[in-house]
Amino acid sequence: MTDVVRLENVSKVYGRGQSAVAALREVTVSIPRGSFTAVMGPSGSGKSTFLHCAAGLDVPSSGSVRLGGTELSGMGEKELTELRRQRVGFVFQMFNLVSSLNVMENVTLPLRLAGVKEDRAWVAEILKRVGLEGRAKHRPSELSGGQQQRVAIARALATRPEVVFGDEPTGALDTMTARDVLRLLREVVSTMGQTVVMVTHDPVAASYADIVLFLADGRIVDTMAAPTADKVAARMTHLGAWV
Amino acid sequence: MMSFALKSLRHRKAAFAGAFLALFCAAALVCACGMLLETGLRGKVATERWAGTPLVVAGDQFVRETVDKGDGETKEKAKPLADRRWIPAALVARLERVPGVDKVIAEVTFPFRGAVGHGWESAALTPFTIARGQAPSGPKEIVVDARSALAPGERLGAYTVVGVTAQALPSQDTVFFDTAEARRLAGHEGKVSAIGVFPAVRLPAMKDALAYTGDERGPVEFLNAEQARVKLVSLGGALGGTSLLVAILVVVGTFALSIQQRQRELALLRAVAATPKQVRTLIGGEALMVSAVAGALGALAGVGLGFWLRAQFVRLGAMPDNLHLVVSPFPIAAALLATVAAAWAAARLSARRTARIRPVEALGEAARPTARLPWIRIALGLVMLAGAVTLTAVLSGLSVEAASSPVTMLTALTWVFALSVLGPLVARAAVAVLDVPLRLGRTSGYLAARSLRANTRRLASVVVPMALMIAMTCTILFVQTTMQNAAQAQAEAGTKAPTEILRTSVRVGLEKYSAQAAQRPTLDLGVVAGGLDPAKLAVSATAAERLRVRPGDEVTMTLGDGTPVTLTVSAVYSRGLAFGDLHLPYPLLKQHVEQQIGAQPANAEVNYVAMGLIIAFTMIAMVNTLAMSTSERSRELALLRLVGTTRRQVLRMLKIETLAAVLIAAVAGTAIALITLSAFSLGMTGSAVPSIAPVTYACVIAAAAVLALAATVVPARLVLRRRPSDAVASRE
Repeated sequence: MTDVVRLENVSKVYGRGQSAVAALREVTVSIPRGSFTAVMGPSGSGKSTFLHCAAGLDVPSSGSVRLGGTELSGMGEKELTELRRQRVGFVFQMFNLVSSLNVMENVTLPLRLAGVKEDRAWVAEILKRVGLEGRAKHRPSELSGGQQQRVAIARALATRPEVVFGDEPTGALDTMTARDVLRLLREVVSTMGQTVVMVTHDPVAASYADIVLFLADGRIVDTMAAPTADKVAARMTHLGAWV
Repeated sequence: MMSFALKSLRHRKAAFAGAFLALFCAAALVCACGMLLETGLRGKVATERWAGTPLVVAGDQFVRETVDKGDGETKEKAKPLADRRWIPAALVARLERVPGVDKVIAEVTFPFRGAVGHGWESAALTPFTIARGQAPSGPKEIVVDARSALAPGERLGAYTVVGVTAQALPSQDTVFFDTAEARRLAGHEGKVSAIGVFPAVRLPAMKDALAYTGDERGPVEFLNAEQARVKLVSLGGALGGTSLLVAILVVVGTFALSIQQRQRELALLRAVAATPKQVRTLIGGEALMVSAVAGALGALAGVGLGFWLRAQFVRLGAMPDNLHLVVSPFPIAAALLATVAAAWAAARLSARRTARIRPVEALGEAARPTARLPWIRIALGLVMLAGAVTLTAVLSGLSVEAASSPVTMLTALTWVFALSVLGPLVARAAVAVLDVPLRLGRTSGYLAARSLRANTRRLASVVVPMALMIAMTCTILFVQTTMQNAAQAQAEAGTKAPTEILRTSVRVGLEKYSAQAAQRPTLDLGVVAGGLDPAKLAVSATAAERLRVRPGDEVTMTLGDGTPVTLTVSAVYSRGLAFGDLHLPYPLLKQHVEQQIGAQPANAEVNYVAMGLIIAFTMIAMVNTLAMSTSERSRELALLRLVGTTRRQVLRMLKIETLAAVLIAAVAGTAIALITLSAFSLGMTGSAVPSIAPVTYACVIAAAAVLALAATVVPARLVLRRRPSDAVASRE
């Protein structure tokens, strides 16, 4: 099988009774290996919930999530954590790095937490690919926002995960820096065969992906292959929530 | 994980400074109390007067009783007497007949013009030798020691100095009389205070007298040192226990605050793939490292604090100068261990929530702390409340100061513990009330009200140490005034004309009772049952209850000097605080009370010194928490500046927030103190109304407010000095 992530009839409901809010409704989707997927949708459409459920950060109310062939439902927090650090990498919007650790230490943090001996050559290779060679000893506070996101990407790659999840990874960056980070993600997919799933609300960011999934009201309402910024923007406008 | 913890510590020095300071103070206090306690348990007073005597026979200074422990086993319990037990002079002749004894010397001891008087017969016990002049040979001749400024031929009262010794004792001035004159002055006809035996041999058992050799001699020579030593055990224990409880409260609070401040970082660790256990290990590891360093340094500082405390106690007369502090590694190790254990437990407790949380929740919660308290915390708070109520009820039934004092502190502390556990609930309720007047303010008041409402947990974390400080200070101060005023009121109401009053303590069984005797019957003791007979015993209502006696009953007691007497109760009186538990016939007590050498220790002042340290600790904790809480808000304050709030408005907002916290803490702290003091007063004086000095109270609240404002404004000014744009851009 070539699906890295598979969600089947996944629903997520917050709250109970009258105040219950369904963030995801019976979502079924497969993410193929080596693909770059963007998840788009207006705010409140369930993008973040989708990401959290797919990444094992949160447990769905019903349905099944399989990550690299492993069923996540029924797993305890400890197993989930161990699975995440072996198979999943994360890049968040902000506050990605531990400020007391330098670049090298931040990148190898998941390995250290897992008690795995770091592969020095691999880490050096990653730092080179993200363009941070020679900055291994810098502290996060000495880096620009774009460089910090590069460190986060390097960290996400350090464990050779099956899939890297990004939650608005360029949300806090200016246009130029964002483009660099997106190019880097694209390159990771194209040259290293890494699978990347990214939540975004930016049509330009989505245009770097192979496939765009459109979420609205907790459901996948559309998919688009070979997206361009204009096409994505048009589709979003059609969804009625383009701001 | 440990190396990561170390890196984290190095990087966030400022964040751990608060925890460090709290732990440092806790270690210092525990170590100082430990030194007092150890001195109480193992302290030695070296003999001075009997330095040249291998074996001293003197009275048994203890009341002994065999207690049945219930399971067939028995245990001998001993309690010290208040005065010296004199021994029959006839023992001298008996001791002389013991095989192997070469020489036997009797000694009498009595106070004389601030010095200690003896007969020349006992000069050889030290030994004293004549340097100038000669030994006394008539009733009006005396010999003074080398330290005295007198020379042979000079007069001292009715006596003429005929000689000066070559020696002087370190902690007492000595005057020698002619042997017969000394016996006359000492009173205690047919008895002596001690007998020296040369050389040390095995002696047959004697009634009420014991043989003392080596280190045993010092405590018998210095009875007040021995009493001070026993007092140190209870004082050191009570002080140490109280400071340990305060320390736990403060350290848990400080750690909770510092972990709350780093919640985002911890959440990131969780998301990046640290298991809950790893996060707990990290936090526990940081706590271990901080507490090890703070505990070690604090314990060393505590040694200095111990010496300072001793100096104060000596100055106040609560501890004789010749009782030296025992310096050993034990208190240091105990302080270090207690600090590390408290910190580790505090960190694990605070980390529980963070570590168990799902990473997503954590990422969300870091920005907006949830207002709901976990049910387990509410349950714990209710248990604490129940404990506080129980202790208050127990306290209101305690009528003996020795039992009441420690329970008072424990009661106040338990209420504060309950407050700290339920703090966020209290803070939320208080904010709801304060919201109304605050919103009348235009800018700063409005902002302060919003900020207080949004973060009741932070408010609670600064209110608790403030309430602790106010509650502890009021309790400590007003327990003393309540007792003093009640005793004074009784004394004023009961004294019709001045008379000489003898004060001592006696033991009924092993229990200690304060006893007095008035020379002339000019006191109105407030008789509530029976009729006062000067030749019989009168007991206070409290003592009557403890002894379960009524007029007509007999009471057998051991007087201060060990003499057993049996007296009939003639009356029960109400003014026991002023006139003691028992009122004895004057001639009887006069005969058996040693005229005290040296001044009576000022009990209230000793308590102020000891408890003052705890007050100081709570003050430090309060300032510490506020400073921590203010400096972590740099981003928020910078943001306010960026949207157009002036520096002055920000400071005003912070000041209003702090004053609101002071107000809540004052209400909570005063309520706790009042409840505790009422219960204490009800038990001790019979009235539920404690005496509170309004000016002192106002000063306590004012001090809290001033300290709190200073602890807010100083860090806030430092934070506001940075350019707001930089502060916002930086990560917290």
